[in-house]
Amino acid sequence: MGPFQYWFEQTVSQVTPVRLFMQTSWGWPATESAHFIGLTLLFGSIAVWDLRLLGLGRGVPISAFHRLVPFAVAGFAINVVTGSMFVMAEANQYVYNRAFQFKLLFLALAGLNVLTFYVTMFRRVATSGAGAAPPLLARLNGALSLAFWMAVIICGRLITFYRPTRCRPGETIAFVADCIIR
Amino acid sequence: MLDPFFIWLESTSFSVWMRESPSLFAFPLILAAHTIGLGLLAGVDVAHDLRILGAAPKIPIEFDRYLRIMWFGLAVNAASGVALLIGYPTKALTNPVFYLKLGLIAVALVLVNVIRRRQQSYAPRLLAAISLLCWAGAIVAGRLLAYTYTRLDATS
Repeated sequence: MGPFQYWFEQTVSQVTPVRLFMQTSWGWPATESAHFIGLTLLFGSIAVWDLRLLGLGRGVPISAFHRLVPFAVAGFAINVVTGSMFVMAEANQYVYNRAFQFKLLFLALAGLNVLTFYVTMFRRVATSGAGAAPPLLARLNGALSLAFWMAVIICGRLITFYRPTRCRPGETIAFVADCIIR
Repeated sequence: MLDPFFIWLESTSFSVWMRESPSLFAFPLILAAHTIGLGLLAGVDVAHDLRILGAAPKIPIEFDRYLRIMWFGLAVNAASGVALLIGYPTKALTNPVFYLKLGLIAVALVLVNVIRRRQQSYAPRLLAAISLLCWAGAIVAGRLLAYTYTRLDATS
C-alpha cells in the first residue's frame, strides 16, 4: 500500500486549480457545506427507501419509493465531486488517515450492497404490490444499507480526529517513516 | 454580559468531559451522531418537500410513518446539539451565525406542520421550496460555525 499511497498523493496534489480554489477563504467552508447538503439528500432518500424495504409503510408499493432514488444519486454525485476536492487539496491529510481508509471501505461495502440489490432482487421487489412483506433478503439488504451509510458518516466525521501529524511532504525522511512504512 | 454564565457552564464536569476527554465516545461520536441525526431530520423532510413538489407522485402525500423517523432525527439532534453546546457555550452563543442556524431550523420545523395541514387540500409548493432553502441554509450556517466564531471559550 505504501508506494501506491505515496504515488496517489503526489499525483492528485498536481491538480492545481482545485488546490488554489480550496485555499481561498471561502473554498473549504463552501465545499464542506455542499458536502453536507449532498449527505442530507443521499442519506434522507436512502433511509426512507431502506425503511420501506424493512417494512415501514407497507401499504405503499415499493415501486412508488423508487422515484426517490434519483435524489440519492444526485446527493452521491455532489459528494463524490466535493469529497474529491478535499482529497485533491490536502491529499496527505487523507490517504494516510485511518478514519478515511475505513470510510472508503464502508463506501465500497455500501456500493456492493446496492449492486447486490439490483442484480439479484430489484425486479421481484419492484413489481411487488402494496401490502407485500419484502422478502427476507431484501430486508437484510435494507438493514445493511442503513448500517453501511451510517458507518460512512461516522468515519467521515472522525477523519479530523485521525489526522496524521507529521505527514509533511517537505520532511522526506520523517514523512516516509511515519506515513508510509507504518 | 453572559460571561459569568459561560464561566460556570464551562467549569461543570460534563462540559470539561466534552472538551477534554480523549475518548472517541465523547466529542467525536456525539458529533457523528449529530450528523446522522441531520441526515434523518433534514433528509426525510427534504424527501417530503420533494414529494410535495411533484417527485415520486405515487407515495401518499401524508408520508406519516416517515415523518416519525424525522422526529426521531430531531430528538437525536436536540440531545447531541445540547451536549455540543454545553461543551463550547461561549463559542456558539457569541456567534450570530449560531442564532441564524437555530432560526432557520425553527422556521423549517414550523413549516413541517403548516405543510401537513395544507397538503390535504392542495400541494403547498412554495412552502416546500422555502423549507428546502431553510434546511440548506441551516446546514451551511452549521458548517460555518467552525469558521466564524470569535471566542472559543470564556477565557478568550
